[in-house]
Amino acid sequence: MLVMSRRKGETILIGDEIEIVIAHIGRSRVRVGIRAPRSMLVIAREVKLVRDENLAAAAAPSPLALSDLLARLQPEVRG
Amino acid sequence: MPVFETKSFGRIPYEEDAVLEFPSGLPGFDTRHRFVALDFRESEPLIFLQSLEDPCLCFITLPVLVVDPCYRLEVDAGDLARVGLAATRQPRIGEDVLCLAVVAVRETGPTANLLAPIVVNLANRKAVQAVAPESGYSHQQALVSEEAAVCS
Repeated sequence: MLVMSRRKGETILIGDEIEIVIAHIGRSRVRVGIRAPRSMLVIAREVKLVRDENLAAAAAPSPLALSDLLARLQPEVRG
Repeated sequence: MPVFETKSFGRIPYEEDAVLEFPSGLPGFDTRHRFVALDFRESEPLIFLQSLEDPCLCFITLPVLVVDPCYRLEVDAGDLARVGLAATRQPRIGEDVLCLAVVAVRETGPTANLLAPIVVNLANRKAVQAVAPESGYSHQQALVSEEAAVCS
């Protein structure tokens, strides 16, 4: 991984179209400004995880999978 | 009473004041803002979040406290503001907010997303999927059938 040191207000360019600005440096977090083409998805990694998880969750499960899920949740009706 | 035709449940009548409004949508579904929460006796404790804009979009969810009775909610200031909650303290599950974990059903078994619970302000029914990267919770928490652990 390429690691660069930057001060507040300084910029990093990725290719011709992506610009990253260090907007603010706090004690435990930095604010980063990102300029990129609209067509490019720019999200935090954990939001990507949640997005992928939502897409997986929205795919309707089979009736069998759903009844298995219910069996796990309703111990009194199991067996 | 308005009625919506859904893929999973057929025609469902709903009250306008029961509609959950997601001002920013959900990650991956940014243009879906209106949902209703459906529950059925035979599928307790599941709660189905049915979109009112897409007949095919329905999330299976569980109250977070069913998945983890000790769950600690951490909603950031931006998300609190988005649903009209004061940033002065964390909302209380069941009193201030309804808090649901989205369930994904895979071949390897069902998992619940505790990293990003759906938080509904009970006072105005505005909702957000609140991503909490510093909470330490998993986006794929396995659902276990054993009796839930006791909170310490």
